[in-house]
Amino acid sequence: MIRQAIGSKWVVALGVVSVVALVGAYAALSHHQHQVNPDDRTIPTWSQLKDGFVKIVEVNARSEERWLVVDAKATGKRLFLGLLCGIGGAMLLGMMMGCLAPVEAVFHPPLALLAKLPPTAMLAVFFVLVGTDTNMYVAMIAFGVLPSLAQTVYLSVKDVPDEFLYKAYTLGASHLEVVWNVVFRQVLPKLIDAVRLQLGPAMVYLIAAEMVVGDVGFGYRIRLQSKLLNMDVVFPYLVILAVFGFTMDYALLKLQRKICPWYAYDK
Amino acid sequence: MTSEAYKDRMVLTIKGVGHWFGKHRVLHDVNLEIVRGEIVGVVGPSGCGKSTLFRAIVGTHPPRGGEIRVCSGEGVGALVRGPGRDRGIVYQQYSLFPFLTAQENVAFGLMVDESSIPYRLLMYPKWRKMRAQHMEQAAEFLERVDLGHAMRLYPGNMSGGMRQRVAVAQALIMKPEIILLDEPFGALDEATREELQCMLLNLYLENLDALRQNQKPPYTILLVTHELNEAIYVGDRVVGLSQYWDWKSEGFDACPGATVVYDRTAPVELPGGERKYEAYDRQRHEIRSTVFDPPAPVDRRKAQTFWEELADPRNRQGVLQ
Repeated sequence: MIRQAIGSKWVVALGVVSVVALVGAYAALSHHQHQVNPDDRTIPTWSQLKDGFVKIVEVNARSEERWLVVDAKATGKRLFLGLLCGIGGAMLLGMMMGCLAPVEAVFHPPLALLAKLPPTAMLAVFFVLVGTDTNMYVAMIAFGVLPSLAQTVYLSVKDVPDEFLYKAYTLGASHLEVVWNVVFRQVLPKLIDAVRLQLGPAMVYLIAAEMVVGDVGFGYRIRLQSKLLNMDVVFPYLVILAVFGFTMDYALLKLQRKICPWYAYDK
Repeated sequence: MTSEAYKDRMVLTIKGVGHWFGKHRVLHDVNLEIVRGEIVGVVGPSGCGKSTLFRAIVGTHPPRGGEIRVCSGEGVGALVRGPGRDRGIVYQQYSLFPFLTAQENVAFGLMVDESSIPYRLLMYPKWRKMRAQHMEQAAEFLERVDLGHAMRLYPGNMSGGMRQRVAVAQALIMKPEIILLDEPFGALDEATREELQCMLLNLYLENLDALRQNQKPPYTILLVTHELNEAIYVGDRVVGLSQYWDWKSEGFDACPGATVVYDRTAPVELPGGERKYEAYDRQRHEIRSTVFDPPAPVDRRKAQTFWEELADPRNRQGVLQ
């Protein structure tokens, strides 16, 4: 029946089966490909993947750097700064738009337009405005996530029932206390949900930009190694990206449960 | 007898209040004087402006015409210009902040009233001490509404009745001059509703005790309800707002808005006593035929006899003695 719950053991078992099926399908595909062409590098075998992984973690003879370390540092820094600016700006803007009608009137129309513009299409604009260093990536991620995050915050603020605000005022709260102690607390779990949803797009914008103009980073390395058909390097990078995204998402979910325990009951 | 005899005991004075939204007239010339310690049941047909009147009293939507004053001591009282902590409110829905536990909800008012954000940030050690006191007080109030066991529960984990009890405690802890209950028990089952009615009557009992000790009765309550029995049983006075009054005789071409058409005393009941709803038959019928479904437009002053009734000492019951 629709929405009928299943036992937790079943949930775990089915989850394990789906991962095993994915790994098994890859192994079968790789095996088949290597039977056709024993020198194939497009769908590497497990041993080729292991060699690829060793290649990215050990010091490279030519650059004398560990690829994974330098790429992770560069991509991580860009992603962290971009998300920080995007989330901070969206929080501020969304809260102000939801609480103050003049700010809403000024920012709502441009935000609705900008939210529809793919940031990767604006790459040239960022290129011109902020150069090609870290600032460009940060600007692109921030610009990419800010409009939709700000709209989420703004709509969540609008969703806060008037009764909560009136009640807070009758209990003696100031305007700032109503914003901080009532509106923000109510909006926080929805903001975390929205950030979880924006993690994927933020990584897409960054990897795409790194592929186009980067000289270091995950996107740069994937593009370079793809051109050389070194899929034994590309696949580990993809797995690391997936694990990183999953870990971030899980950490945010845990954070939400920790700081907003009421949200699960309220939903 | 007029309200003059109770002049020093007035807590809420509503004079000539009118309200409208564009061309839609909601309230017209509403006049009401509430004596400290009363529980007043406010009834009226849907759309007659009960909630609008409450919003005007709370101060979130000040009236377009007339004035509302809340008196905390002597004198005419302060004009209501916006929300303030001298008026508490309990709503039917959204009565509690969902992100706070029962205890934190009750302590919320103390927090925002006795400290500020800079104080809480910059004087953290002092704030922690103050917070502990607030939580202790909140626990006491929750015990009073029989919810000592539910202090750490979030509203999402509570039943409707528990939520409304916490909401009442949240309003009571601030010791407001008047507490407005906007259909607080509307969504509850009959048994829970009766429990909460008893809780209100216990507050009335505390008012009587305070009067006996020559103190100010601590709780004045305005209760909006759709249940006539509830208004009569819990209230010591029933006020009816209605749009079905004879506005033509006052020279209007169209209804200028709802107004008070019924204002009479109600029997004073004690908590735990037998509920004799059949004894309310006459008053229920009276309210229905004046406020809800009059056979013809009514003279709005005809059933506004509260102050005249008090001229007879036998009618001065409860806190009105």
